[in-house]
This record gives sequence, C-alpha cells and structure tokens, in this order.
Amino acid sequence: MQKNIGGILYDCYPLTPAQIVHIYTLRYSPTSEIVNIGTGQYFQMKLNIAALREALNRAVERCESMRLRFWKDPETGEMWQYVVPYTNEYFEYYDFSEWEESRVEEVLNKWTSQGFDTFGGKLSRIVIVSLPNGYNGYYFNVHHSCMDSSSVIAFAKDVIEIYCSLLYGLPYPKPMASYIESVKKDLAYEGSKKQKKDEEFWHKQLDMPEPIYTDFTGPGRLIQLRRENNNPEQRWGLLTTKNGDGNTITYELDVDSTKKIMDFAKQYDLPVSVVILHAIRTVLSKFNDNETDICIRDFVSRRSTLLNKKCGGVRMHCFPLRTVVGLDETVLDSMRKIKKAQEDLFIHADYSTLKFIKEQRDKYNVGDGGAYYSVSFTYQPGTIDGIVPQLKGIGFKSRWYSSGKQPQPMYITAMHRPSDGGLNFFFGYQTDCATPEEIEFLYYFTGRVLFRSIENPDKTIKEIIDMT
Amino acid sequence: MFEKMVEMICQYVEVEAEDITRDSRFIEDLGFNSYDVMSMMGDAEAEFDIEIEQEEAVKCKTVGELADYFEGLAND
Repeated sequence: MQKNIGGILYDCYPLTPAQIVHIYTLRYSPTSEIVNIGTGQYFQMKLNIAALREALNRAVERCESMRLRFWKDPETGEMWQYVVPYTNEYFEYYDFSEWEESRVEEVLNKWTSQGFDTFGGKLSRIVIVSLPNGYNGYYFNVHHSCMDSSSVIAFAKDVIEIYCSLLYGLPYPKPMASYIESVKKDLAYEGSKKQKKDEEFWHKQLDMPEPIYTDFTGPGRLIQLRRENNNPEQRWGLLTTKNGDGNTITYELDVDSTKKIMDFAKQYDLPVSVVILHAIRTVLSKFNDNETDICIRDFVSRRSTLLNKKCGGVRMHCFPLRTVVGLDETVLDSMRKIKKAQEDLFIHADYSTLKFIKEQRDKYNVGDGGAYYSVSFTYQPGTIDGIVPQLKGIGFKSRWYSSGKQPQPMYITAMHRPSDGGLNFFFGYQTDCATPEEIEFLYYFTGRVLFRSIENPDKTIKEIIDMT
Repeated sequence: MFEKMVEMICQYVEVEAEDITRDSRFIEDLGFNSYDVMSMMGDAEAEFDIEIEQEEAVKCKTVGELADYFEGLAND
C-alpha cells in the first residue's frame, strides 16, 4: 500500500510478527537501546579506508533492510515499513589504536547504548575504527526490528567480499535477495494452509498440563512470586525487571574441549545445539530440586530457503522448547528428546511468537511479563572468517557489544570464534536477576554437566546430577 | 512427486535441478543442514497436504526415499 510520508509516496508494508516482537519489547522497556545490536568486525591488517567506505556504501545499497524505515500512521496508529532509496554516506573514522583495549570497549558499549528513534528515521550506525594491536574494521549498531544476528553476519560477509573484490579484483559477490519479498511471503502466511498446520501443532502443546518456571538461580524467585501474589500454586515466573539493566559475560571454551563437543555430536548424529541444550536443561533441573519438566526459550533463525538466507532483515522467531526427562533416563535419551522437540519447533516456527505467547497466557492465566522459562538460548554456527582466500591466516575478530539492557533474565548465545573455531558463550543477563558470581556458577555447572554427559552418555540424568 | 520435490529443493540450496537425482543425499550431496530439512518438511506438509511422521521422515536420507515416502502419504 502506498503512503505519503514526508511528502514522498512509498510502498509500505505491515510489520511481520518477527519485527513486532521487538516493538513489543520497546513498549515495556523504559529505554530504547534495549533493541540495539552492537557489533564490530576487525582484521589484523592495514585497511584501505577509502575502499572500506566504498564497500560499506555498496553493501548498504544492496541490502534493503539497511535502508528500512518505520512509520506510524498518526491517525490510525498502524505501524508500517518501507525502504528508502540508497544515498551515498560518508562513514566516520575513529582511530583508537593507541588506546587501552578496555577503554575502547567502554566507548563502543556506550555507542551501543544510544537508542534509535524507531519511527523517526535511520536505524543503524556504522563507524570505521582502528583498534589497538593492529586491528582495523568497522563498528555497527542496528535496531533489532531491522536486522537479527544472522542478518548482521550476512551483511558483514557482503562488506568483506565487496572490499576484497574492489582491492584484489576478485569476483563481485552475488546480489542479496530482496527483504521485501521475504516480508510479502511472511504476510501471505497469515490464513494459509501452513499456518493452519502450525496452529494445530501449537494448540496441541497447550493441551499439555501447565509447565513450571525453573529459574537459573534456583527456586527462590518462584517462591518469592508465589508469596507476593499470595498464590502457592503459581507456576509461572517473571521475565521483566523494573529497569531492564543488563550485562554480558563472555566465556571462552578452548579448542580441544569444543572439538570434544563437535565430535560427540557427530558420533551420535545430534546437532551441536542439542548437546548444549541438554547441559542447560540438566543444570536447570539440578538447581530446581531435580525438576523433570523444563522449558528453555529457543531462537530459530528461519533462514532455510535461499531467499531467506540472503535477504537480511529480521526473521527470528522464538518458542519455548519444553522437554520432560525423567531422572532415570540416560543422557542420550535426554538429547534425543530435545532433538525431537527441536525438530518439531523448527517445522512449526513460522507461527507467530506473539500469538503463541498470548494463547499461552490465556490458557494458563499467566500474568503480564510472565513465562515458564528463565533461560533463552541460541547457537550461531556461522562465522565470517576464511570466506576470502586473500584474508586466510590474517587475524580476525568479531565483537558483540552490550547496550547495557536485557529484555530477558538470561540469554545464552553459543558462537564459534573466527580465530580458532573454539566456542564462545555469551551470558547476557538482567543485573536485577543475578550477580556475576551466580553467572560464573551457572557457566561452571553447565560445563561440568556438558562434559560429564559427553564422557558418560549411558549414565542417567540422576547420576550426572550427582556427579556434578 | 520427484519433480515437485526437485522444484522445492532448488528453493533451499544452490544446486541445478538437473544435478539432483533420486540418490542425492540431502546433507552430504545437496548441502542441507538439519534445520533446512525440517523446515522443508513443514512446507511439504502444507504443499502436498500430508501428515508427516517425523520418525519416519528423518530416516529418509535421499531425495528418492523422501519422494517415495511423501508419495505414499499422498496416496493414503
């Protein structure tokens, strides 16, 4: 539908459920930076700044979601999105090469904590930067309703490939796909046969008995909520805190230990995410009086078709991954149950996350901001190193910066380091919900359960819990 | 069914339709990952109006095996 925005006619489209989730987060957050994604891509080599500036411009030109804007109709309050035409941009350059590493980190975190005006214009910021130790590249901050982490990685790959094409005469990368085409497909899903099938599946999930909230610090928070609400039977916990203040702690798993996880997953034909999810769910069980019914919120990138892999934008949906694993079942039983639950979730992940949340609330009478999971998890297998032969063997680092806010109590991201393939675990948490010591404790036990499980796949969950 | 499957596969991975045979394996030969396979099954359920039994479907490692499985469901 065409809309007149600021005197110009634009083709406008409604927001998709994947985008609305973030607008919804904003509605319940006191500050706008909660939906920022701050990242940096750096190579340990001297970069041609003019060529990088050109590559960034061309990448923005090719990527519709980098030129996405939101508009709220002042009369109806309806939200719309549209793509503005490309215009050449002069990206600033900051030289931090003589600074202390920690001070640079502080500045880039601060930049990430500067929110965007969602309905007021440009929704991203790119700055070319030089870091200490010879690293050069660019810092990138974007509104989560425009891009998700898969999209940020795809954009970064495009920038690097264009840069190398400009400098080394390599073939120019294939064009990105249209994000608007992907939006149109998502909007056409509403009322489709596929939606009906997905709805049947999620409604069947809601026919199960009410789940129970398991906090990553133990049952204390649920007990307190029960007291506050004067309801000893309450089974849901709270996702929101007063200020949403958050922090991220990164733990680096060494290459040999990462290899053990990868080899185990391969040997038993299991996705790596399932092996990690097993460890998290077992720790939640251990911390919550050996509870067998555990929910973890699982994020699905929904990028399986070629169009969706190359279109940028935000497509991520998330649903509770619920598994009931008895204490007398084995590690492999647990992992196979998680695998099956995750496959179900993948098949039906096009269903609207918000719709499911609403239906779950209605079904179990859950209060505002309530849920049955305390931990959200995502595994990001893709990295951007080694995509261009000219950059093989050159130091590379990809950084994710904190906006200082967290929309959920705990968000664990497992991601391979570009430098050596080892796993990094990012523990993003609300500071009202846990202390750094509690996060350390959680990571320690997750690691212990993970490796005891890998070493003893035929042991029962009870035995693994007792061993750790 | 095989031809329809080939059409669907080409929406998921960069492969020429003529290079897909009944013996092509989804993961090893066509470059699918486990999420792509599951997502395609979701689309296939709606497209062919069938009810997939996941345990059965994941046993199908080649295009021919999955096409035969879908064919059987569609004829039921």
